[in-house]
Amino acid sequence: MDYLIHHMLRASARRFPDKEALVHLDRRLTYREVWSRVEGLAEGLTRSGLKRGERVGIFLDTSIPQTLSIFAISRAGGVFVPINSLLFPEQVGHIARDCQMKGLITAASKLGTLGPILKDLPSLEFLIVVSDAEVPDSASLPVGDFEDLCGLPGLAASSDRAIDKDLGAILYTSGSTGKPKGVMLSHSNVCAGASIVSDYLEISERERILALLPFSFDAGLNQVMTAFQQGATIVLMTFVFAREIVRTLLSERITGLAGVPTLWSLLAQPSSSLAKQPLPDLRYITNTGGAMPQPVLGALRQALPTSRIFLMYGLTEAFRSTYLPPEELDRRPTSMGKAIPDTEILVINEDGKLCGPGEVGELVHRGPTVSLGYWGAPDLTARVLRPHPLRQPELGEGELVCYSGDYVTMDEEGFLYFVGRRDTMIKTSGFRVSPTEVEEVLFQSGLVKGAAVIGVPDDVLGQTVKAFVSARDGDAVAVAELLEFCARKMPRHMVPKAIEVLDELPKTTSGKVNYPALRKREGL
Amino acid sequence: MSTNPLSVSSTAARIKAFLLEHFPSARSQSLGGAESLLENGVLDSLGILDLVAYLEREFGITVADDDLLPEHFETLDRLTAFVEQKRTSTA
Repeated sequence: MDYLIHHMLRASARRFPDKEALVHLDRRLTYREVWSRVEGLAEGLTRSGLKRGERVGIFLDTSIPQTLSIFAISRAGGVFVPINSLLFPEQVGHIARDCQMKGLITAASKLGTLGPILKDLPSLEFLIVVSDAEVPDSASLPVGDFEDLCGLPGLAASSDRAIDKDLGAILYTSGSTGKPKGVMLSHSNVCAGASIVSDYLEISERERILALLPFSFDAGLNQVMTAFQQGATIVLMTFVFAREIVRTLLSERITGLAGVPTLWSLLAQPSSSLAKQPLPDLRYITNTGGAMPQPVLGALRQALPTSRIFLMYGLTEAFRSTYLPPEELDRRPTSMGKAIPDTEILVINEDGKLCGPGEVGELVHRGPTVSLGYWGAPDLTARVLRPHPLRQPELGEGELVCYSGDYVTMDEEGFLYFVGRRDTMIKTSGFRVSPTEVEEVLFQSGLVKGAAVIGVPDDVLGQTVKAFVSARDGDAVAVAELLEFCARKMPRHMVPKAIEVLDELPKTTSGKVNYPALRKREGL
Repeated sequence: MSTNPLSVSSTAARIKAFLLEHFPSARSQSLGGAESLLENGVLDSLGILDLVAYLEREFGITVADDDLLPEHFETLDRLTAFVEQKRTSTA
């Protein structure tokens, strides 16, 4: 019976042992080869001391080891924590401390910069390292060699002790305040997400899927899960120039591609090579992580006349939520679509009642992908995961639904339209950014007296980060120095695109920063 | 057509000033002419779009899709040579 994350891979390895499963650059692995490495690495993790339910971080660039690690940690009974390779040591350290990471799978080339934070992690007991460089001597922990462990004989077949209610993965994401929180996904959440998305995208073993989105992002992770569940081929790549994507779409005969609006904006640029040759193999593309700008959608429809375009919406806390079937694009191109299969979307007003057509309310998600909440944050979890507001009293409060924090409307036929966020969370280039996390770094610089961060609309990125700062008494603010400090402390998507110096930040009567006044300054 | 050494040095200086102003991560590096902008993470896919828009505006050149290649964007020296070659070919 298949009920754990790695069971999806195991089943495909039995059905299609010699089929191409995983491709990166010139490396190509069959399902048999992938499964055998996963089994070996799982044995290595077990020998390293990993026990059921313990967390293992994966801090690797897009690569075959990154994918193998996910399934091996699951196979060994652990919980995988994918960490975006763009993050800086400060953010990696926060994630590792927060989830009390027992082991970390990373690359030798990253150990140099990670070194100082690793020493401050009492929970960390072992490292597994992809040897792309010399391993520095400074590592005071036991270090396993990734390739060596992949070659170990596998675990005993019957050794799975986890059940599908168990925690399988933690995905770190930002909210409106504080540092990133770990969204907990059970094995059953992840498997349900793969089944549901495979269903409406009609993914089969014939698919060749190009993975550009990071696996630390729910939609990116879901891509590899659907591919392995269905026995399809997944091709991994990183890129700088959009034409590299087009080249890979052609050379690998890619049939499915998922992206965020920024990626589509790149591909739909007038100079892009996307429209220069037909891509008959590209059966579908999907957008998630923000609304696709209408001009971009128009350009893509023209450039890809034979590809089906699915607009999707999801939030990490409920994994995946809605999609707009391609047939509806002409009639309602600005819609987020309808609930995904086996899922109910309710629009609830402030009185906790169901909204009528066109009435603005909060999107509430009910279904098998509702996560287990935030790791180590029961109060925050209780605000987002709540009992079904319209439940029949006799059923009790056993089932929790996810309050998204997104305001939407629903039309008479049940299609949803995004209106705005309930809170001040910023969404830029598919990333969620908490204003307070950026403000903290601005304060850390010691260069400002006050700092306040908001999101301002941007055609390509969705939103960009804008900071308002005030000077310490008598000083001018060294804006260039401040930006440089930010760039050393945060990945690019968090660094303010603009910094405006004010004599004083506007305050409310209670002395807090008046954010609405700042938004008003920006005409928002 | 031979390129004017004075114009080359001012082109390089202008591009460097733009990178320093718009890419904060460039400031913590020396940004020497032969240092990799791509590998050091100064330029990413979106950064290249910003840079191309600047080059077209500032130098009156048109950057075609076929020009968007790593070899033209790898270093400040390469970028300068690319812009100079574009300018002489459109002049």
